Amino acid sequence: MTGALADGLFWVMAAGAVITGWRVFRTDSMVRAAYWLMASFVAVAVILILLAAEFLGLVLVLMMAGEMTIMAVFMVMFMMNPAGLNPMTMVHQHRTAIAAGVIAFVGLAGVGAFARFPSAPPPAATHVTADVGHELLGGSMFIFETAGVTLLATMIGSLAVASRRGRFGPADEGSVEPGPPAAAPAAVPESEHAGHAGMERPDGMVP
Amino acid sequence: MRLGLEIAVTGLILVASVYVVAVLDLVLGRLVAAAPLRLAEAVVRPVRRGALLFLQRPPRTERPDQALWILAPALLGAIAAAVLFVMPLGPTELSQSSGMRDVDAGIVYFGALMALVMVAVYLHGWAPNSLFPMVGGYRFVALALSYEMPLALVLIGAALPARSLSIGAIVDAQAGLWNLVRQPLGLPLYLVAALGLTFRGPLNVSDAADLAGGTPAESSGVALLLWALGRNAILVAAAAMGAAGFLGGWRGPALPGPVWMVAKSLALVAVLLGVSHLVGRVRLERFVIVAWAVLIPLALLDVFAAGAVALLAGRP
Repeated sequence: MTGALADGLFWVMAAGAVITGWRVFRTDSMVRAAYWLMASFVAVAVILILLAAEFLGLVLVLMMAGEMTIMAVFMVMFMMNPAGLNPMTMVHQHRTAIAAGVIAFVGLAGVGAFARFPSAPPPAATHVTADVGHELLGGSMFIFETAGVTLLATMIGSLAVASRRGRFGPADEGSVEPGPPAAAPAAVPESEHAGHAGMERPDGMVP
Repeated sequence: MRLGLEIAVTGLILVASVYVVAVLDLVLGRLVAAAPLRLAEAVVRPVRRGALLFLQRPPRTERPDQALWILAPALLGAIAAAVLFVMPLGPTELSQSSGMRDVDAGIVYFGALMALVMVAVYLHGWAPNSLFPMVGGYRFVALALSYEMPLALVLIGAALPARSLSIGAIVDAQAGLWNLVRQPLGLPLYLVAALGLTFRGPLNVSDAADLAGGTPAESSGVALLLWALGRNAILVAAAAMGAAGFLGGWRGPALPGPVWMVAKSLALVAVLLGVSHLVGRVRLERFVIVAWAVLIPLALLDVFAAGAVALLAGRP
């Protein structure tokens, strides 16, 4: 990419990352906050790609897209706010937050001010992605890969252990809240229940 | 200048393929239903329907997130365009000088864009502030978390023989033998994941008829048209990736590369659309269980087998 175009894109993305990051705290909804944060990360990812760290930039988008969606869903679940549309503030614990923000800003700005950045693009023959892998993991690649597969297996295992039996019965057979014994739908034979199903709606009566 | 040409070619492919998908969908639907089919009708009807939608009024709901509601279809279309932008239509050297460009980490690029599909569909369901669209959006999140792992794993399997993440290199590595033959589990698993990714047929849980249309239930007019176009475009993008990853991409005898790439992508589009018309919708709960208990282990098997072959056979 040519110099002027890359420079222009960098400044647009840098400004975009800051503005969307600021919007995270000014919006009034969990879902909007999560996706403003994702937009901020995507802008940072474009800057990483401009810095020839293609793999890191793309992985950042890959992780953040999934992560922010899951975060939004979980926050909405915990907030008892099903659509995430009820207004609420995104700023809490002002003093701690201000202190943490100032310290983080000074630290990161220090890295920006004192680190030595390369001034020329990498030679065309460089395999940037492979080099990043060797730089980050080096000889530990095999250990990290093994750990990754182990973590995946653990994740699937914990899901399997956690999801089979819910509070109100097996998860894969439909959970039923416990009620008075006579009214429990389990007491109704399968065929009879199915026969009533079509007649329940018009008069709104539940057997 | 070259960038402009590439963008123009991608745009042209996108517009043409979205229309072809609409016609194919109609034709296959009639064939499956054994209904009478006139070619002239199949060719004209998508255009007529598009023109009609173009004239309809936009709908209103109570306190929607208007910006995200408009952005969601645009995001879906942009994702498809970004995928098609990097699909190799010929040898890498040729692609570098004219036509599409190759991304060094092409598989990761594809994966990142596919993760954004989840964002697009979820927001399309969330933004109208209405019941059925929102249920559709949440359903898609559960679906996406289930199909994404097999999708990523089989694509890693496809990348292993090439020893590269670039889509051009993956196509080059299939010069002797397609990944379809080398990794028999790859393409079937990819196609199941692709049905989820494009939310069609058996895995159309987000835009389903049992939700009164799902995420576009409150849409009409231009917004609905854009959403339909985006859905068709994402199908083309998924099919093109399948053709490049498992069917040897642009490689083939006699005919030029782009013709083979288009033909293979169209074949996969036809397979996906045919399955959509033939197979009924599965319950999301069942699919989630099948995905985690069957598809992910099979995909892991695929990766381990591909890795073992790549290690033993050395550089192909």
